[in-house]
Amino acid sequence: MNVWEVFINDLSELREDEDLELSIRTLNPGIYKYTYKKVRARVSTSPEKYPDKLHVRFGRGQPHDHVYSIQVLEELNVIPEEYL
Amino acid sequence: MKGHRDNRTYVEDLERHGDLVRIKQEVDWDLEAGAIVRRVCELKAPAPLMERIKDYPGFRYLGAPIATYRRLAICMGMDPRSSVPDLAEEYLRRTTTEPIPPVVVDKKDAPCKQNILLGDEVDLCKLPAPLVHDGDGGRYIGTWHAVITESFEEGTVNWGLYRLMLYDSKLMAAAVFPFSDLGKAFLQRYEPQGRPMPFAAVIGPPPLAAVAASAPSPIPEPEFTGQLMGEPIELVKCETNDLLVPAHSEVVIEGVILPNVRLEEGPFGEYTGYRTSPRDKRLAFLVKAITFRDDAIVTISNMGVPTDEGQLLRSFSLGLELEKLLRSQGLPVTGVYMPPESTHHMMIVGVKPTYSNIATQIANLAFGSKLGPWFHMVVVVDDTIDIYNWDEVFHALCTRCHPVRGIRVYEHAVGTALYPFLNAHERKYAKGAQVLFDCTWPLDWDPLNEVPRLVSFRTVYPKEIQEKVLANWEAYGFPSE
Ligand SMILES: Cc1cc2nc3c(=O)[nH]c(=O)nc-3n(C[C@H](O)[C@H](O)[C@H](O)COP(=O)(O)O)c2cc1C
Repeated sequence: MNVWEVFINDLSELREDEDLELSIRTLNPGIYKYTYKKVRARVSTSPEKYPDKLHVRFGRGQPHDHVYSIQVLEELNVIPEEYL
Repeated sequence: MKGHRDNRTYVEDLERHGDLVRIKQEVDWDLEAGAIVRRVCELKAPAPLMERIKDYPGFRYLGAPIATYRRLAICMGMDPRSSVPDLAEEYLRRTTTEPIPPVVVDKKDAPCKQNILLGDEVDLCKLPAPLVHDGDGGRYIGTWHAVITESFEEGTVNWGLYRLMLYDSKLMAAAVFPFSDLGKAFLQRYEPQGRPMPFAAVIGPPPLAAVAASAPSPIPEPEFTGQLMGEPIELVKCETNDLLVPAHSEVVIEGVILPNVRLEEGPFGEYTGYRTSPRDKRLAFLVKAITFRDDAIVTISNMGVPTDEGQLLRSFSLGLELEKLLRSQGLPVTGVYMPPESTHHMMIVGVKPTYSNIATQIANLAFGSKLGPWFHMVVVVDDTIDIYNWDEVFHALCTRCHPVRGIRVYEHAVGTALYPFLNAHERKYAKGAQVLFDCTWPLDWDPLNEVPRLVSFRTVYPKEIQEKVLANWEAYGFPSE
Protein backbone atom coordinates (compact mmCIF):
# COMPACT_ATOMS: atom_id res chain seq x y z
CA MET A 1 0.00 0.00 0.00
CA ASN A 2 1.24 3.47 -0.92
CA VAL A 3 0.53 6.61 1.01
CA TRP A 4 -0.09 9.81 -0.94
CA GLU A 5 -0.92 13.40 -0.12
CA VAL A 6 -2.79 16.05 -2.05
CA PHE A 7 -3.14 19.83 -1.59
CA ILE A 8 -6.56 21.32 -2.28
CA ASN A 9 -8.37 24.55 -1.55
CA ASP A 10 -11.76 22.98 -1.04
CA LEU A 11 -12.98 19.46 -0.35
CA SER A 12 -15.34 19.74 -3.32
CA GLU A 13 -12.25 19.30 -5.53
CA LEU A 14 -12.11 15.66 -4.39
CA ARG A 15 -15.24 14.37 -6.14
CA GLU A 16 -15.66 10.76 -5.09
CA ASP A 17 -15.45 7.87 -7.55
CA GLU A 18 -14.90 10.08 -10.59
CA ASP A 19 -11.80 10.23 -12.75
CA LEU A 20 -9.81 13.19 -11.45
CA GLU A 21 -6.51 14.74 -12.51
CA LEU A 22 -4.47 15.34 -9.40
CA SER A 23 -0.92 16.26 -8.42
CA ILE A 24 -0.13 13.95 -5.54
CA ARG A 25 3.03 13.48 -3.56
CA THR A 26 4.28 10.27 -2.04
CA LEU A 27 4.58 9.95 1.73
CA ASN A 28 6.33 6.57 1.45
CA PRO A 29 9.53 6.73 3.49
CA GLY A 30 12.90 7.11 1.77
CA ILE A 31 14.66 9.64 -0.39
CA TYR A 32 11.74 10.04 -2.78
CA LYS A 33 9.33 11.11 -0.02
CA TYR A 34 7.38 14.27 -0.97
CA THR A 35 8.06 13.99 -4.72
CA TYR A 36 5.10 14.54 -7.00
CA LYS A 37 3.31 12.71 -9.73
CA LYS A 38 0.50 14.01 -11.87
CA VAL A 39 -2.09 11.25 -12.11
CA ARG A 40 -5.56 10.26 -13.19
CA ALA A 41 -7.10 8.72 -10.12
CA ARG A 42 -10.24 7.94 -8.19
CA VAL A 43 -10.72 8.85 -4.57
CA SER A 44 -13.14 7.99 -1.81
CA THR A 45 -13.82 9.28 1.68
CA SER A 46 -14.09 5.66 2.69
CA PRO A 47 -10.57 4.72 3.80
CA GLU A 48 -10.82 1.13 2.55
CA LYS A 49 -12.48 1.55 -0.83
CA TYR A 50 -9.32 2.03 -2.92
CA PRO A 51 -5.92 0.39 -2.41
CA ASP A 52 -3.80 3.42 -1.41
CA LYS A 53 -4.20 6.01 1.32
CA LEU A 54 -4.59 9.69 0.50
CA HIS A 55 -3.85 12.40 3.06
CA VAL A 56 -5.32 15.81 2.38
CA ARG A 57 -3.95 19.28 3.09
CA PHE A 58 -5.48 22.67 2.43
CA GLY A 59 -3.98 25.64 0.61
CA ARG A 60 -1.80 26.91 3.47
CA GLY A 61 -0.61 23.44 4.45
CA GLN A 62 -3.22 22.74 7.16
CA PRO A 63 -3.85 18.97 7.39
CA HIS A 64 -7.40 17.64 7.04
CA ASP A 65 -8.16 15.14 9.78
CA HIS A 66 -9.82 12.60 7.52
CA VAL A 67 -7.74 10.20 5.40
CA TYR A 68 -9.21 9.24 2.01
CA SER A 69 -8.41 6.24 -0.16
CA ILE A 70 -7.14 6.52 -3.73
CA GLN A 71 -6.55 4.39 -6.78
CA VAL A 72 -4.01 5.70 -9.27
CA LEU A 73 -5.25 4.81 -12.74
CA GLU A 74 -2.58 6.41 -14.87
CA GLU A 75 0.50 8.59 -14.55
CA LEU A 76 0.35 11.72 -16.69
CA ASN A 77 3.24 13.63 -18.20
CA VAL A 78 3.75 17.04 -16.68
CA ILE A 79 6.09 18.25 -19.38
CA PRO A 80 5.76 18.03 -23.15
CA GLU A 81 7.41 15.01 -24.87
CA GLU A 82 9.92 17.25 -26.68
CA TYR A 83 11.68 18.02 -23.41
CA LEU A 84 11.84 14.45 -22.11
CA MET B 1 39.99 42.60 3.07
CA LYS B 2 39.37 39.39 1.13
CA GLY B 3 35.96 37.75 1.31
CA HIS B 4 35.41 34.07 2.03
CA ARG B 5 35.79 32.19 -1.21
CA ASP B 6 33.54 29.40 0.05
CA ASN B 7 31.38 28.22 2.91
CA ARG B 8 34.27 26.20 4.34
CA THR B 9 36.50 29.14 5.24
CA TYR B 10 33.36 30.95 6.37
CA VAL B 11 32.43 28.07 8.70
CA GLU B 12 35.96 28.12 10.18
CA ASP B 13 35.68 31.84 10.73
CA LEU B 14 32.28 31.49 12.39
CA GLU B 15 33.71 28.79 14.65
CA ARG B 16 36.69 30.98 15.56
CA HIS B 17 34.24 33.70 16.63
CA GLY B 18 32.10 31.29 18.66
CA ASP B 19 29.24 31.63 16.19
CA LEU B 20 28.95 27.99 15.04
CA VAL B 21 27.61 24.78 16.58
CA ARG B 22 28.79 21.50 15.03
CA ILE B 23 25.99 18.94 15.33
CA LYS B 24 27.58 15.48 15.22
CA GLN B 25 24.50 13.35 15.80
CA GLU B 26 22.37 12.34 12.83
CA VAL B 27 19.75 14.89 11.84
CA ASP B 28 16.68 14.08 9.74
CA TRP B 29 16.19 16.13 6.57
CA ASP B 30 12.45 15.59 7.09
CA LEU B 31 11.56 18.52 9.42
CA GLU B 32 14.22 18.06 12.11
CA ALA B 33 16.88 20.14 10.31
CA GLY B 34 14.28 22.81 9.54
CA ALA B 35 13.13 22.93 13.15
CA ILE B 36 16.72 23.39 14.35
CA VAL B 37 17.29 26.27 11.94
CA ARG B 38 13.98 27.91 12.84
CA ARG B 39 14.79 27.86 16.55
CA VAL B 40 18.27 29.21 15.81
CA CYS B 41 16.67 32.15 13.95
CA GLU B 42 14.23 32.87 16.76
CA LEU B 43 16.96 32.72 19.46
CA LYS B 44 19.62 34.41 17.31
CA ALA B 45 21.76 31.39 18.24
CA PRO B 46 25.01 30.37 16.49
CA ALA B 47 24.75 28.84 13.02
CA PRO B 48 24.33 25.04 13.07
CA LEU B 49 26.63 22.88 10.93
CA MET B 50 24.87 19.51 10.74
CA GLU B 51 27.52 16.95 9.90
CA ARG B 52 25.38 13.78 9.50
CA ILE B 53 22.16 13.85 7.56
CA LYS B 54 19.81 10.88 7.54
CA ASP B 55 19.87 9.06 4.18
CA TYR B 56 22.59 11.37 2.85
CA PRO B 57 26.13 10.39 3.83
CA GLY B 58 28.66 12.75 2.28
CA PHE B 59 26.49 15.85 2.68
CA ARG B 60 26.24 18.44 5.44
CA TYR B 61 23.88 21.32 6.21
CA LEU B 62 24.76 24.87 7.21
CA GLY B 63 21.66 26.51 8.70
CA ALA B 64 20.88 30.21 9.15
CA PRO B 65 24.19 31.14 7.52
CA ILE B 66 23.77 34.93 7.75
CA ALA B 67 20.70 35.34 9.94
CA THR B 68 22.28 37.96 12.25
CA TYR B 69 24.13 41.23 11.78
CA ARG B 70 26.98 39.62 13.71
CA ARG B 71 27.32 36.91 11.08
CA LEU B 72 27.00 39.50 8.31
CA ALA B 73 29.97 41.32 9.89
CA ILE B 74 31.99 38.08 9.99
CA CYS B 75 31.00 37.34 6.42
CA MET B 76 32.18 40.83 5.39
CA GLY B 77 35.47 40.33 7.24
CA MET B 78 34.61 43.00 9.83
CA ASP B 79 34.67 43.05 13.61
CA PRO B 80 31.71 40.87 14.72
CA ARG B 81 30.68 43.64 17.11
CA SER B 82 30.29 46.15 14.25
CA SER B 83 27.16 48.27 14.60
CA VAL B 84 24.49 48.35 11.90
CA PRO B 85 25.54 51.87 10.80
CA ASP B 86 29.15 50.59 10.53
CA LEU B 87 28.00 47.67 8.38
CA ALA B 88 25.91 50.02 6.27
CA GLU B 89 28.79 52.43 5.76
CA GLU B 90 31.10 49.61 4.72
CA TYR B 91 28.53 48.15 2.29
CA LEU B 92 28.06 51.59 0.73
CA ARG B 93 31.80 52.12 0.51
CA ARG B 94 32.52 48.79 -1.15
CA THR B 95 29.62 48.90 -3.57
CA THR B 96 30.40 52.40 -4.83
CA THR B 97 33.97 51.51 -5.85
CA GLU B 98 34.85 50.25 -9.33
CA PRO B 99 33.12 46.93 -10.09
CA ILE B 100 35.57 44.00 -9.87
CA PRO B 101 35.09 41.60 -12.80
CA PRO B 102 35.20 37.85 -12.13
CA VAL B 103 37.93 35.52 -13.37
CA VAL B 104 37.16 32.27 -15.16
CA VAL B 105 39.08 29.23 -13.94
CA ASP B 106 39.70 25.84 -15.41
CA LYS B 107 37.41 22.97 -14.52
CA LYS B 108 40.28 21.18 -12.76
CA ASP B 109 40.60 24.14 -10.37
CA ALA B 110 36.89 24.22 -9.58
CA PRO B 111 35.93 22.20 -6.49
CA CYS B 112 32.25 22.27 -7.53
CA LYS B 113 33.21 19.76 -10.27
CA GLN B 114 34.45 17.07 -7.87
CA ASN B 115 31.31 14.99 -8.55
CA ILE B 116 29.37 15.22 -11.78
CA LEU B 117 26.00 13.61 -12.49
CA LEU B 118 24.78 13.64 -16.09
CA GLY B 119 22.05 11.89 -18.09
CA ASP B 120 20.34 9.04 -16.26
CA GLU B 121 22.42 9.64 -13.14
CA VAL B 122 20.70 12.96 -12.62
CA ASP B 123 18.32 12.64 -9.69
CA LEU B 124 17.48 15.59 -7.44
CA CYS B 125 16.60 13.15 -4.66
CA LYS B 126 20.30 12.35 -4.38
CA LEU B 127 20.59 15.81 -2.79
CA PRO B 128 19.44 16.30 0.81
CA ALA B 129 16.67 18.80 0.08
CA PRO B 130 15.05 19.47 3.46
CA LEU B 131 11.35 19.61 4.24
CA VAL B 132 11.79 22.96 5.96
CA HIS B 133 8.40 23.47 7.63
CA ASP B 134 5.57 21.02 8.28
CA GLY B 135 2.88 21.74 5.72
CA ASP B 136 5.22 23.09 3.04
CA GLY B 137 4.26 22.04 -0.46
CA GLY B 138 7.51 20.18 -0.93
CA ARG B 139 11.18 19.83 -0.13
CA TYR B 140 13.03 23.03 -0.89
CA ILE B 141 16.56 22.57 -2.18
CA GLY B 142 16.87 26.31 -2.84
CA THR B 143 16.43 28.48 0.25
CA TRP B 144 19.87 30.13 0.43
CA HIS B 145 21.37 29.92 -3.03
CA ALA B 146 21.60 31.76 -6.35
CA VAL B 147 19.76 31.09 -9.57
CA ILE B 148 21.98 32.11 -12.47
CA THR B 149 20.45 32.98 -15.83
CA GLU B 150 20.67 35.56 -18.55
CA SER B 151 19.17 38.85 -17.36
CA PHE B 152 16.44 40.92 -18.97
CA GLU B 153 19.03 42.75 -21.06
CA GLU B 154 20.21 40.25 -23.65
CA GLY B 155 23.76 39.02 -23.05
CA THR B 156 23.91 40.14 -19.41
CA VAL B 157 23.80 37.84 -16.42
CA ASN B 158 21.50 37.72 -13.40
CA TRP B 159 21.98 35.98 -10.07
CA GLY B 160 18.88 35.97 -7.89
CA LEU B 161 17.35 34.02 -5.04
CA TYR B 162 14.11 32.36 -6.08
CA ARG B 163 12.92 29.56 -3.82
CA LEU B 164 13.22 26.14 -5.47
CA MET B 165 10.91 23.24 -4.65
CA LEU B 166 11.68 19.66 -5.68
CA TYR B 167 8.81 18.45 -7.83
CA ASP B 168 10.33 15.10 -8.79
CA SER B 169 13.75 13.64 -9.60
CA LYS B 170 14.27 15.94 -12.59
CA LEU B 171 12.00 18.90 -12.00
CA MET B 172 11.93 21.88 -9.66
CA ALA B 173 9.24 24.53 -9.35
CA ALA B 174 10.04 28.13 -8.46
CA ALA B 175 8.23 31.26 -7.38
CA VAL B 176 9.64 33.95 -9.66
CA PHE B 177 7.91 37.32 -9.55
CA PRO B 178 7.25 38.93 -12.93
CA PHE B 179 8.98 42.16 -11.84
CA SER B 180 12.22 40.39 -10.86
CA ASP B 181 15.14 40.31 -13.28
CA LEU B 182 14.56 36.64 -14.00
CA GLY B 183 10.82 37.17 -14.32
CA LYS B 184 11.36 39.94 -16.87
CA ALA B 185 13.91 37.95 -18.89
CA PHE B 186 11.87 34.77 -19.01
CA LEU B 187 8.36 36.18 -19.36
CA GLN B 188 9.21 39.01 -21.75
CA ARG B 189 11.77 37.29 -23.98
CA TYR B 190 12.28 33.53 -23.66
CA GLU B 191 8.71 32.35 -23.15
CA PRO B 192 7.10 34.43 -25.93
CA GLN B 193 9.70 32.98 -28.32
CA GLY B 194 9.03 29.45 -27.01
CA ARG B 195 12.69 29.14 -25.98
CA PRO B 196 13.83 27.09 -22.98
CA MET B 197 16.03 29.29 -20.77
CA PRO B 198 19.31 27.83 -19.47
CA PHE B 199 19.81 28.15 -15.72
CA ALA B 200 22.27 27.08 -13.04
CA ALA B 201 21.08 26.95 -9.45
CA VAL B 202 23.96 27.22 -7.04
CA ILE B 203 23.30 25.82 -3.57
CA GLY B 204 25.87 26.98 -1.03
CA PRO B 205 27.48 29.72 -3.11
CA PRO B 206 30.32 31.74 -1.53
CA PRO B 207 28.56 33.69 1.25
CA LEU B 208 28.96 37.16 -0.29
CA ALA B 209 27.80 35.81 -3.66
CA ALA B 210 24.51 34.90 -1.99
CA VAL B 211 24.34 38.37 -0.43
CA ALA B 212 24.88 39.85 -3.91
CA ALA B 213 22.24 37.57 -5.43
CA SER B 214 19.68 38.75 -2.88
CA ALA B 215 20.53 42.45 -3.28
CA PRO B 216 18.52 44.60 -5.70
CA SER B 217 21.58 46.34 -7.13
CA PRO B 218 21.81 47.42 -10.77
CA ILE B 219 25.45 46.23 -10.87
CA PRO B 220 25.71 42.71 -12.36
CA GLU B 221 26.10 40.27 -9.48
CA PRO B 222 29.52 38.79 -10.43
CA GLU B 223 31.08 42.29 -10.35
CA PHE B 224 29.02 43.21 -7.31
CA THR B 225 30.28 40.10 -5.49
CA GLY B 226 33.82 41.16 -6.39
CA GLN B 227 33.18 44.57 -4.83
CA LEU B 228 31.84 43.00 -1.65
CA MET B 229 34.69 40.46 -1.50
CA GLY B 230 37.44 42.92 -2.41
CA GLU B 231 38.76 40.53 -5.06
CA PRO B 232 37.45 38.82 -8.19
CA ILE B 233 35.19 35.85 -7.69
CA GLU B 234 36.33 32.70 -9.50
CA LEU B 235 33.80 31.29 -11.95
CA VAL B 236 33.73 28.12 -14.01
CA LYS B 237 31.66 27.09 -17.02
CA CYS B 238 28.68 24.78 -16.58
CA GLU B 239 28.64 21.24 -17.98
CA THR B 240 25.53 21.60 -20.13
CA ASN B 241 25.33 25.31 -20.98
CA ASP B 242 27.54 28.40 -21.24
CA LEU B 243 26.61 29.94 -17.91
CA LEU B 244 29.39 30.61 -15.41
CA VAL B 245 29.01 29.58 -11.76
CA PRO B 246 31.14 30.29 -8.69
CA ALA B 247 33.87 27.63 -8.80
CA HIS B 248 33.86 27.15 -5.02
CA SER B 249 30.10 26.55 -4.76
CA GLU B 250 28.96 23.46 -2.92
CA VAL B 251 26.30 22.17 -5.35
CA VAL B 252 25.35 23.27 -8.85
CA ILE B 253 22.12 22.19 -10.54
CA GLU B 254 22.03 22.90 -14.29
CA GLY B 255 19.13 22.80 -16.70
CA VAL B 256 16.48 24.80 -18.53
CA ILE B 257 13.37 26.71 -17.52
CA LEU B 258 10.60 25.38 -19.73
CA PRO B 259 8.41 27.78 -21.72
CA ASN B 260 4.65 27.36 -21.36
CA VAL B 261 4.95 24.75 -18.64
CA ARG B 262 3.87 25.36 -15.06
CA LEU B 263 4.13 23.16 -12.00
CA GLU B 264 2.26 23.43 -8.73
CA GLU B 265 4.48 25.12 -6.15
CA GLY B 266 4.03 26.01 -2.49
CA PRO B 267 2.71 26.69 0.00
CA PHE B 268 5.87 27.65 1.85
CA GLY B 269 6.78 29.41 5.10
CA GLU B 270 7.63 32.88 3.86
CA TYR B 271 9.72 35.89 4.83
CA THR B 272 6.69 37.71 6.23
CA GLY B 273 6.47 35.12 9.01
CA TYR B 274 3.40 33.44 7.53
CA ARG B 275 2.41 30.96 4.89
CA THR B 276 0.44 33.40 2.77
CA SER B 277 0.78 32.93 -0.97
CA PRO B 278 -1.50 30.23 -2.33
CA ARG B 279 -0.27 27.08 -3.91
CA ASP B 280 -0.11 28.03 -7.55
CA LYS B 281 1.23 27.01 -10.94
CA ARG B 282 4.73 28.38 -11.17
CA LEU B 283 7.85 28.11 -13.35
CA ALA B 284 9.22 24.64 -14.18
CA PHE B 285 12.98 24.00 -14.02
CA LEU B 286 14.09 20.83 -15.84
CA VAL B 287 17.40 19.50 -14.53
CA LYS B 288 20.14 18.19 -16.86
CA ALA B 289 23.21 17.98 -14.64
CA ILE B 290 24.19 18.11 -10.99
CA THR B 291 27.74 18.78 -9.81
CA PHE B 292 28.89 18.96 -6.21
CA ARG B 293 31.91 19.06 -3.92
CA ASP B 294 33.00 16.21 -1.71
CA ASP B 295 31.31 16.60 1.69
CA ALA B 296 29.09 19.25 0.17
CA ILE B 297 27.48 21.79 2.49
CA VAL B 298 23.85 22.45 1.59
CA THR B 299 22.79 25.85 2.95
CA ILE B 300 19.36 26.29 4.56
CA SER B 301 17.58 29.53 5.30
CA ASN B 302 14.38 28.98 7.26
CA MET B 303 11.93 31.74 6.62
CA GLY B 304 9.36 32.51 9.31
CA VAL B 305 9.03 35.08 12.09
CA PRO B 306 12.07 37.38 12.37
CA THR B 307 14.93 37.05 11.99
CA ASP B 308 16.18 35.05 9.02
CA GLU B 309 18.23 35.85 5.91
CA GLY B 310 15.15 36.87 3.93
CA GLN B 311 14.44 39.66 6.41
CA LEU B 312 17.93 40.63 7.52
CA LEU B 313 19.76 40.79 4.21
CA ARG B 314 16.89 41.98 2.08
CA SER B 315 16.19 44.77 4.59
CA PHE B 316 19.86 45.65 4.66
CA SER B 317 20.38 45.83 0.91
CA LEU B 318 16.95 47.25 0.01
CA GLY B 319 17.52 50.14 2.44
CA LEU B 320 21.03 50.86 1.23
CA GLU B 321 20.20 50.55 -2.46
CA LEU B 322 17.37 53.02 -1.88
CA GLU B 323 19.83 55.33 -0.14
CA LYS B 324 22.07 55.23 -3.23
CA LEU B 325 19.11 55.93 -5.49
CA LEU B 326 17.95 58.92 -3.41
CA ARG B 327 21.47 60.34 -3.20
CA SER B 328 21.90 59.91 -6.96
CA GLN B 329 18.94 62.30 -7.33
CA GLY B 330 20.58 64.85 -5.04
CA LEU B 331 18.16 64.35 -2.17
CA PRO B 332 19.68 65.42 1.18
CA VAL B 333 19.11 62.10 2.93
CA THR B 334 20.92 61.37 6.17
CA GLY B 335 20.39 57.62 5.80
CA VAL B 336 17.91 54.85 5.06
CA TYR B 337 17.21 51.92 7.35
CA MET B 338 14.81 49.01 7.10
CA PRO B 339 14.31 47.19 10.39
CA PRO B 340 14.47 43.42 9.69
CA GLU B 341 11.61 43.01 12.19
CA SER B 342 9.40 44.80 9.65
CA THR B 343 10.08 41.80 7.37
CA HIS B 344 11.42 44.38 4.92
CA HIS B 345 8.10 46.17 4.75
CA MET B 346 9.07 49.49 6.35
CA MET B 347 11.62 51.87 4.86
CA ILE B 348 12.76 54.56 7.31
CA VAL B 349 14.32 57.54 5.55
CA GLY B 350 16.11 60.38 7.32
CA VAL B 351 16.25 63.65 5.41
CA LYS B 352 17.10 67.30 5.91
CA PRO B 353 13.80 68.83 4.86
CA THR B 354 14.97 71.61 2.57
CA TYR B 355 11.72 72.07 0.67
CA SER B 356 8.04 71.30 1.18
CA ASN B 357 6.73 67.80 0.49
CA ILE B 358 10.20 66.34 0.11
CA ALA B 359 8.81 63.22 1.80
CA THR B 360 6.36 62.76 -1.06
CA GLN B 361 9.18 62.94 -3.59
CA ILE B 362 11.11 60.33 -1.58
CA ALA B 363 8.13 57.99 -1.41
CA ASN B 364 7.38 58.43 -5.12
CA LEU B 365 10.95 57.48 -5.97
CA ALA B 366 11.00 54.58 -3.53
CA PHE B 367 7.67 53.10 -4.61
CA GLY B 368 8.28 53.85 -8.28
CA SER B 369 11.67 52.16 -8.40
CA LYS B 370 12.54 48.52 -9.04
CA LEU B 371 12.68 48.13 -5.26
CA GLY B 372 9.10 49.33 -4.77
CA PRO B 373 7.10 46.08 -4.89
CA TRP B 374 9.03 44.72 -1.90
CA PHE B 375 7.77 47.13 0.77
CA HIS B 376 4.65 49.12 1.43
CA MET B 377 5.54 51.63 4.14
CA VAL B 378 7.87 54.60 3.85
CA VAL B 379 8.45 56.60 7.02
CA VAL B 380 10.26 59.89 6.50
CA VAL B 381 11.81 61.59 9.52
CA ASP B 382 13.97 64.67 9.74
CA ASP B 383 17.69 64.73 10.42
CA THR B 384 17.23 65.16 14.19
CA ILE B 385 16.00 61.56 14.45
CA ASP B 386 18.37 58.61 14.62
CA ILE B 387 16.91 56.27 12.00
CA TYR B 388 18.55 53.26 13.70
CA ASN B 389 16.87 54.06 17.03
CA TRP B 390 13.38 52.57 16.86
CA ASP B 391 12.29 54.40 20.04
CA GLU B 392 13.02 57.73 18.38
CA VAL B 393 11.42 56.76 15.07
CA PHE B 394 8.32 55.39 16.81
CA HIS B 395 8.02 58.53 18.91
CA ALA B 396 8.27 60.71 15.78
CA LEU B 397 5.73 58.55 13.93
CA CYS B 398 3.23 58.76 16.77
CA THR B 399 3.63 62.50 17.38
CA ARG B 400 4.63 64.25 14.16
CA CYS B 401 2.70 62.42 11.49
CA HIS B 402 -0.68 64.13 10.95
CA PRO B 403 -3.34 61.41 10.61
CA VAL B 404 -4.70 63.05 7.46
CA ARG B 405 -2.11 65.44 6.00
CA GLY B 406 0.91 63.33 6.97
CA ILE B 407 -0.31 60.13 5.38
CA ARG B 408 -0.40 59.57 1.60
CA VAL B 409 -1.97 56.40 0.39
CA TYR B 410 -0.87 54.83 -2.87
CA GLU B 411 -3.58 52.63 -4.29
CA HIS B 412 -3.07 50.26 -7.21
CA ALA B 413 0.54 49.47 -6.38
CA VAL B 414 2.51 46.48 -7.68
CA GLY B 415 2.26 43.79 -5.01
CA THR B 416 2.99 40.14 -4.50
CA ALA B 417 0.95 37.16 -3.41
CA LEU B 418 3.05 37.10 -0.24
CA TYR B 419 1.58 40.19 1.46
CA PRO B 420 -0.44 38.85 4.41
CA PHE B 421 -2.76 41.89 4.56
CA LEU B 422 -4.02 41.54 0.97
CA ASN B 423 -7.27 39.75 0.29
CA ALA B 424 -7.39 36.60 -1.82
CA HIS B 425 -8.19 38.45 -5.05
CA GLU B 426 -5.41 40.98 -4.52
CA ARG B 427 -2.93 38.19 -3.80
CA LYS B 428 -3.94 36.26 -6.90
CA TYR B 429 -3.40 39.28 -9.14
CA ALA B 430 -0.50 40.72 -7.08
CA LYS B 431 -2.30 44.03 -6.50
CA GLY B 432 -0.68 45.92 -3.66
CA ALA B 433 -1.14 49.21 -1.83
CA GLN B 434 1.45 51.46 -0.21
CA VAL B 435 1.60 54.28 2.27
CA LEU B 436 3.85 57.19 3.21
CA PHE B 437 4.09 58.46 6.78
CA ASP B 438 5.55 61.96 6.61
CA CYS B 439 7.00 62.70 10.06
CA THR B 440 8.74 65.95 9.14
CA TRP B 441 7.47 69.26 10.46
CA PRO B 442 5.78 71.29 7.71
CA LEU B 443 8.15 73.98 6.45
CA ASP B 444 5.36 76.56 6.42
CA TRP B 445 5.06 76.34 10.21
CA ASP B 446 6.80 79.12 12.09
CA PRO B 447 9.77 77.32 13.67
CA LEU B 448 9.60 79.56 16.72
CA ASN B 449 5.89 79.53 17.53
CA GLU B 450 4.39 76.56 15.73
CA VAL B 451 6.95 73.75 15.76
CA PRO B 452 6.75 72.00 19.14
CA ARG B 453 9.88 71.91 21.25
CA LEU B 454 11.25 68.42 21.92
CA VAL B 455 11.39 67.84 25.66
CA SER B 456 14.41 65.70 26.40
CA PHE B 457 17.44 65.86 28.64
CA ARG B 458 19.53 66.94 25.68
CA THR B 459 17.19 69.64 24.40
CA VAL B 460 15.63 71.51 27.32
CA TYR B 461 18.44 71.98 29.86
CA PRO B 462 21.28 74.45 29.68
CA LYS B 463 24.62 72.86 28.83
CA GLU B 464 26.06 73.61 32.27
CA ILE B 465 23.21 71.81 34.00
CA GLN B 466 23.55 68.80 31.70
CA GLU B 467 27.28 68.63 32.39
CA LYS B 468 26.78 69.00 36.13
CA VAL B 469 24.18 66.22 36.22
CA LEU B 470 26.34 63.92 34.14
CA ALA B 471 29.42 64.62 36.25
CA ASN B 472 27.51 63.87 39.44
CA TRP B 473 25.51 60.92 38.18
CA GLU B 474 27.27 58.31 40.24
CA ALA B 475 27.61 60.64 43.22
CA TYR B 476 23.80 60.91 43.23
CA GLY B 477 23.79 57.14 43.73
CA PHE B 478 23.02 55.90 40.19
CA PRO B 479 25.00 52.99 38.78
CA SER B 480 27.60 54.04 36.18
CA GLU B 481 26.46 53.80 32.55
C1 LIG C 1 16.06 33.89 1.37
C2 LIG C 1 15.45 34.62 0.20
C3 LIG C 1 14.46 34.02 -0.57
C4 LIG C 1 13.89 34.67 -1.66
N1 LIG C 1 12.94 34.05 -2.41
C5 LIG C 1 12.43 34.66 -3.51
C6 LIG C 1 11.51 33.98 -4.36
O1 LIG C 1 11.12 32.83 -4.10
N2 LIG C 1 11.04 34.63 -5.45
C7 LIG C 1 11.45 35.91 -5.79
O2 LIG C 1 11.00 36.44 -6.82
N3 LIG C 1 12.31 36.58 -4.98
C8 LIG C 1 12.82 35.98 -3.87
N4 LIG C 1 13.72 36.64 -3.07
C9 LIG C 1 14.08 38.01 -3.40
C10 LIG C 1 15.08 38.02 -4.52
O3 LIG C 1 16.21 37.27 -4.18
C11 LIG C 1 15.51 39.40 -4.80
O4 LIG C 1 14.47 40.10 -5.40
C12 LIG C 1 16.73 39.45 -5.67
O5 LIG C 1 17.16 40.77 -5.74
C13 LIG C 1 16.45 38.90 -7.03
O6 LIG C 1 17.05 39.69 -7.95
P1 LIG C 1 16.24 40.54 -9.02
O7 LIG C 1 15.12 41.27 -8.37
O8 LIG C 1 17.32 41.43 -9.45
O9 LIG C 1 15.77 39.54 -9.97
C14 LIG C 1 14.31 35.99 -1.98
C15 LIG C 1 15.32 36.59 -1.21
C16 LIG C 1 15.89 35.93 -0.14
C17 LIG C 1 17.00 36.60 0.63
